[in-house]
Amino acid sequence: MLPPSAPLQPAPQRVPQLGDARSGKLAGNLAAFGRALRRAGVPVDAARLALAPQALGCVDLGRRDDVCAALEAVLVSRAQDRAVFRELFDAFFRDPELARKLLARMLPRAPGAAPAPRQRPGVREALAPPRAHTPGQAAPEQAMELDAAMTASARERLRTADFNQLSASEYRLVERLVRDIPLPLPTVPGRRARAGSRGARIHWAHTLHAAARHGGDVVALERLQRRRQSLPLLVLVDVSGSMERYARLLLAFVHAATAHVQVNGLRLALRRDVFAFGTHLTDLGPAFALADTDAMLCSASQRIADFAGGTRLGSSLEQLRRQHARRLVGRRTLVLIVTDGLDTGEPAALAQELAWLKRHTRRLLWLNPLLRFEGYTPSARGAAVLHRMADGMLAVHNLSRLEELAGAIAALLKTTRR
Amino acid sequence: MNAPERPALDSIDALIHALQREGYFADRRLATAVFLALRLQRPLLLEGEPGVGKTELAKALARVLGRSLLRLQCFDGLEQREALYEWNYAAQLLHLRAAEGTAPASMLEQDVYHPRYLVRRPLLQALEAPTPGALLLIDEVDRADEPFEAFLLEYLGEYQVSIPELGTIRASVPPVTLLTSNRTRDLSDAIKRRCLYHWLDYPERERELAIVHALVPEAPRQLAAQVTAFVQQLRSAPYGGSFQRAPGIAETVEWARALVALDTVQLDPEVVVDTAGILFKQRDDLAALDGRLAAQVLQAAQAAA
Repeated sequence: MLPPSAPLQPAPQRVPQLGDARSGKLAGNLAAFGRALRRAGVPVDAARLALAPQALGCVDLGRRDDVCAALEAVLVSRAQDRAVFRELFDAFFRDPELARKLLARMLPRAPGAAPAPRQRPGVREALAPPRAHTPGQAAPEQAMELDAAMTASARERLRTADFNQLSASEYRLVERLVRDIPLPLPTVPGRRARAGSRGARIHWAHTLHAAARHGGDVVALERLQRRRQSLPLLVLVDVSGSMERYARLLLAFVHAATAHVQVNGLRLALRRDVFAFGTHLTDLGPAFALADTDAMLCSASQRIADFAGGTRLGSSLEQLRRQHARRLVGRRTLVLIVTDGLDTGEPAALAQELAWLKRHTRRLLWLNPLLRFEGYTPSARGAAVLHRMADGMLAVHNLSRLEELAGAIAALLKTTRR
Repeated sequence: MNAPERPALDSIDALIHALQREGYFADRRLATAVFLALRLQRPLLLEGEPGVGKTELAKALARVLGRSLLRLQCFDGLEQREALYEWNYAAQLLHLRAAEGTAPASMLEQDVYHPRYLVRRPLLQALEAPTPGALLLIDEVDRADEPFEAFLLEYLGEYQVSIPELGTIRASVPPVTLLTSNRTRDLSDAIKRRCLYHWLDYPERERELAIVHALVPEAPRQLAAQVTAFVQQLRSAPYGGSFQRAPGIAETVEWARALVALDTVQLDPEVVVDTAGILFKQRDDLAALDGRLAAQVLQAAQAAA
């Protein structure tokens, strides 16, 4: 830490006026600092950067800690960016060259290698050149073959085929098909109100307007009716080895099906939080913020470090409780745990965490792909605990089960809780 | 206006001292952010764990600036009529009835939509506050939903609202605006872009000790030092991991008060366990702080002091 009186290297010693700050070296340095921040992943836009010289005009440029605090207040807007900001600030305003090296360390990149073309799978598919025909085969016949793969009977077979037993090409087809399955989750009355014919409160504005049309006589009382809203959703997807084939399909399904929710004919954004768990918990929020399902899958697989590893649901849930407990909205959240229950953790710890989760949510549902087996009983240690604690167990191993999922969830929400 | 003489807030140090006189001990980073918010006339978004003094800052700052504090507590389902304005419909109807047949329609309309029938809510009050203006605290903005956030964005950008029946109301003195969030969800980028941002951490030991001294002057020095050292240990590794919610500043102060009331001179594990209900409000946390853990934390606190 430098003594407070130590001057900043790139900044001029004394900048008494705003105008000076703009014409001096400071403006250029700030712009470079903004670029460095952006490269380090801190979202800094032009409006914020434009505010920075004004902010510096308000503080004593001789005081390094004030300058740091001022720039932080202006340029940072998320708690998680503060550490990166301070490290970069320290390095940059001591030696910009050092900052560049630091940045290079933060973003490992092979020198000289051209970046791989970044195209979403959908785009790549669309731009791919048509395959050259082999001389012996006629093109129309090929097209016919392709059509045959999509006949109604093939689709019907795929609907009931287990995800785990699909061939590679079928898997790709199913991955497309799951995106079209809707998941109309049930709605509950919310706190916001709208004009309507039923409801306990009187809509005075409308009543008065109607009265004005009838010479000031109140003919009928208009009412305020509660708007319906969807339950917030929390999805935990098991990405361990035994779930490998299901995880990708179910992530695609959840992403497409819960992007919007239809409430009273309005398309509203649904509040959803999605986490992947294996040996630890991964927040897929940033991946699910992407609108395109291919982009989501791409981003999710980059984030999940423990894909196709072991399962420790208990410790993953503990991580959820410690770090993300605030994501649970009131006690309204609907929790879907997608796992086969083959957990390697301690059952007692798992039971404790599940009990906590159950206390803080509306319903805790277990989506279990192993229900494909006739006469399946949850006898594995983790599965037994899950079965005991969950409010319901639902099957998700083929397309037709996914189509029935919304109805099954709605039925479970109507029953009273055990 | 014959406002009482206020110290000029022309530097960060002056602001720190002014806040301190009002019983709020701000560290320099926080003071810098507040100073910039005042100078650049931007809203300041404060995030942090519950109990780090976000709301207290607004109260102290209002006293420093001599502005009236207007607080809008956000909640799920907050709507414009609870945040901005609403017409007093019952009174309007009565007026219509009383004036029936005595006045022409155009007169009646003017009378009914008179400002005296307007029920002003905090956001409108903040615009109409007389000099030196108001300090607007929008508390727990993350609890309101996205449509309200969008409305707020417009409000914070222009500091004016239009009421169809009356016209546009513009702030004569823009309010100083503080927003607080407990991070139950991420706020939209647009609203963050409009605000300055500060993350409030738990205070370091000296600052918390100063707060305890200021708010519980009857506590012996020795006890106050022990209390703050103990709470600091509870928040930090490795003990912080045992609890779901760390005690905030308010809990520290309450605890010190309780210990004084119990005539405690020296902290020991038994006293800690007996009074743990003040520090922790959750059953699991209370159960976690048993005599053994309390003794360990006490030892660590003594070692750190």
